[in-house]
Amino acid sequence: MSFLAPSKLSRKKRGEGTLTEWVIEKLLFISAIFSVLVVFFILVFLFGKGYQIFEEVTLWEFLTGDKWDPVGQNIEEKPYYGAHPLIMGTLLVTLGAMAFAIPLGIGSAIFISEIAPPRIRDFLKTGTELLAGIPSVVYGLFGLIILTRWLQINFDKPTGETWLAGSILLGIMALPTIISVAEDAISSVGKELKEGSLALGATKWQTITKVIIPSSISGITAAVILGMGRAVGETMAVMMVTGNTPIVPEPITNVFASVKTLTGALGIEMGEAPVNSPHQHALFALAVVLFVIVLSINAGAMIIMKRIKERHYGIAGKKKGSRVLPEPIKNFTDSIKNFTGPIKRHMDTILGIFAGIILIWLLTSWFGIPMGLVIFFMVIGIHFFSQSLSPKNYQTMALGMVTLSIIIVLFLLGALLYYITAEGIHALSWEFLTESPRNCGREGGIYPAIIGTLYLTLGAIILAVPLGVGAGIYISEYAKETRVLKIIRAGIDNLNGTPSIVFGLFGYAFLVLYLGLGVSMIAGQITLALMVLPTIIRTTEEALKAVPHTLREGSLALGATKWETTRRVVLPPSMPGIITGIILSIGRAAGETAPIMFTAVVFSQPGLPNDPSDPVMALPYYILEMSMNIPGGQGNAAGAALVLLLLVLSFYLLAALIRKRFEKALKGFR
Amino acid sequence: MKPIENFKWIVPVFFAIILAASVFAGCTDDDDEETIDIKGSTTVLPIADLAAEKYMDEHDDVAITVSGGGSSVGVTAVADGTADIGMASRGLKDSEKEKYPDLKEIVIARDGIALIIHKSNNITALSQEEIRGIYNGTYTNWKELGGPDKDIVVVGRDSASGTREFFWKHVMKKEEFVEGMLEKNSNGAVHETVKGTEGAIGYVGLGYVDDQVKAVKIKNEGEEVEPTVQNVKDGKYPISRNLHFVTNGDATGLAKKFIDFVLSPEGQKIVEDEGFVPL
Repeated sequence: MSFLAPSKLSRKKRGEGTLTEWVIEKLLFISAIFSVLVVFFILVFLFGKGYQIFEEVTLWEFLTGDKWDPVGQNIEEKPYYGAHPLIMGTLLVTLGAMAFAIPLGIGSAIFISEIAPPRIRDFLKTGTELLAGIPSVVYGLFGLIILTRWLQINFDKPTGETWLAGSILLGIMALPTIISVAEDAISSVGKELKEGSLALGATKWQTITKVIIPSSISGITAAVILGMGRAVGETMAVMMVTGNTPIVPEPITNVFASVKTLTGALGIEMGEAPVNSPHQHALFALAVVLFVIVLSINAGAMIIMKRIKERHYGIAGKKKGSRVLPEPIKNFTDSIKNFTGPIKRHMDTILGIFAGIILIWLLTSWFGIPMGLVIFFMVIGIHFFSQSLSPKNYQTMALGMVTLSIIIVLFLLGALLYYITAEGIHALSWEFLTESPRNCGREGGIYPAIIGTLYLTLGAIILAVPLGVGAGIYISEYAKETRVLKIIRAGIDNLNGTPSIVFGLFGYAFLVLYLGLGVSMIAGQITLALMVLPTIIRTTEEALKAVPHTLREGSLALGATKWETTRRVVLPPSMPGIITGIILSIGRAAGETAPIMFTAVVFSQPGLPNDPSDPVMALPYYILEMSMNIPGGQGNAAGAALVLLLLVLSFYLLAALIRKRFEKALKGFR
Repeated sequence: MKPIENFKWIVPVFFAIILAASVFAGCTDDDDEETIDIKGSTTVLPIADLAAEKYMDEHDDVAITVSGGGSSVGVTAVADGTADIGMASRGLKDSEKEKYPDLKEIVIARDGIALIIHKSNNITALSQEEIRGIYNGTYTNWKELGGPDKDIVVVGRDSASGTREFFWKHVMKKEEFVEGMLEKNSNGAVHETVKGTEGAIGYVGLGYVDDQVKAVKIKNEGEEVEPTVQNVKDGKYPISRNLHFVTNGDATGLAKKFIDFVLSPEGQKIVEDEGFVPL
């Protein structure tokens, strides 16, 4: 920007501009630092409420105590605040979810980016994103009514409400995250790598496992960790299917034991715990524990993301020269050398034996000793059989498995959509959409709940867009790689991983109680706005970064200021990308229950809210109450679920449409 | 450049939608109607909601908001003034009376607690001792009670629930619940689980007894008493409790009128229609 001003006039103009420029930069900076403040505030408030439990128990007792009985329903009437079973419940359910979601997710990602023809690719991507658009209450109902019953009958267990049910459901819910992030990582592997490998005579499958996956392994790991973050923080679905028994499974591998998770305890008990009682303090302390778990998972993701970026820039930096090929070939030969190296082979045997022992133990404990051994030998048999196959046949088998994983994912999506539609379609009618509920919601319609959800969502978006877009602009256009930027990035990433129930508790503790907003529309809107903020920041940042540098340079060279360039040159072409982010946020905000449950909603009220201090009705909460607390309310609950799903899905489809046109537009650009 | 131009319409259209929506949001008219907020126990919620609906049909210029949250939330909300009437499925706790001495509780209905089992279970009646035995882990298989050879799946409410507290005090005699009891956060969830689980037993309000589950008769003084509204009213069915409204001091204005309405024959009819026991 160090251009010499050619005339007095323009210098004066530039002088005026400088003040505006300064103000704008500061404003953008403030919106960027806001996320950090929010994370800080969340921690302070949760901690401020939670630490008081340590007047009752020590930290050690709290974390390791194995009895959770906060109201003291035992002979001595003494409350116990042992969070150990809940922490274990969360960890086990998450672990199980990952065991289920990782193979399916990565398989699907490989299929989408490497095998599917382009036409189907778009369809599959949209399909997996639809999975992300289904509200968690709806997942919960599906899990409770279909999944747990299926498990109970198929495995002949007393109840299907188990660790396994929670894991499967959370696995499905984590799939969209894993698939989309892993798919991005896999498709960003350079073309030269693939071509090099294929040219050396490797089969497609060998190329995938030996070249593509190793070079995108950081991205895939990040996908897994982000998916894990999603699973750890999920509340509404998990509390409906895991049985909520606060004991550690016995033995620990017993996937058919009922468990209670941290989020389950928060979601269930928060409303019933008297304000400022030790029970409530204990719940806030649980929220702190949950937050810390999620933060550490995120920290892991960030470190890995950093590595992937370094690697990416490393390759990109070399692109200009002719040194592109040596690296992939080196990688390729390295991986072959590693694989055939004698020490490595030894390691494999040891690991193999170790894995075998664990497998036998797990299988026999799940299926009984004879059945477990049979299954174990079948697995071993398949393994050795596949070793003896020719690479070509092996490839056919492997690709078959990958295809199978995407088929399973599509089947799950289809089953969910079919279930919701079949249950809800009877309730749908014009009256249902346009009338107020009557007879406790068993008759009449859901009009006020639809409008309430729209109010909450739009309010949240209006609050979040200026802050989010401002922060995105600051990070992409203004910020220099300093420590401050690192802190801002960390703040945004952590906000992104914060469980929705934690937002809900923060909204309750800070907005409803501390600021005295009461249960009100505005409290819900602010809470939801905080929740969607990171999505908007990220999509804005990505959209801005996709604008070619030459445009900025051209504008600056013509004498435009930084802000003029940003506003007139950089923002317009990135607008569709930003709007995509906004629409995704609308979908997320409309479907969430946990953040509004304690901050904004009522079951019924006459008419519509008059001003922001009034509470509102909202679809997700309405579905929960109708299906769980009103006898005979299930029919209309299912109808409301279908309406909510259609609402959220139409937002997502709009986003997909805009993105598609945007991609086309950018192509024209370049 | 051309394709980008095509996108210009999106921005104004998008903001027009937002603007239209917010104008729409602002245009509901403010008039000086009298309003009250009712909040608390989800068990009592259907009564209050239906009564509010009816009361508002009969009176213009009245707005009543009903929300759940739980008994404790209701009590606290009344005490700190954020609600006019609290709903509680339990009596006030000593700690609450101590902290908020002005709180008044009004019994508005009785609620029978029914034990429900899967329809395929051939058990028809249990004594309170047997029920306690099931919930404290003495019995683990239905055949010990003359039923089928099936593990008992004990279903209860979450530890914060008022229904569970009542059950613990009056049926369990403050004995500890068996480890491994499933905890559900609502009557509906208990009903849903028992309906689909062959070995299950759970407790719900009378309103949740229907033909999808089997309600167990209670052996009481040589009689087998069915959980029905009439039997609770006659004092034959032993497991029942009071449902309350809570106010801060004596109710005045609309709150008083509304409570009187719920206690009137018309209000008590609603109570009975919802499967609760009128006073």
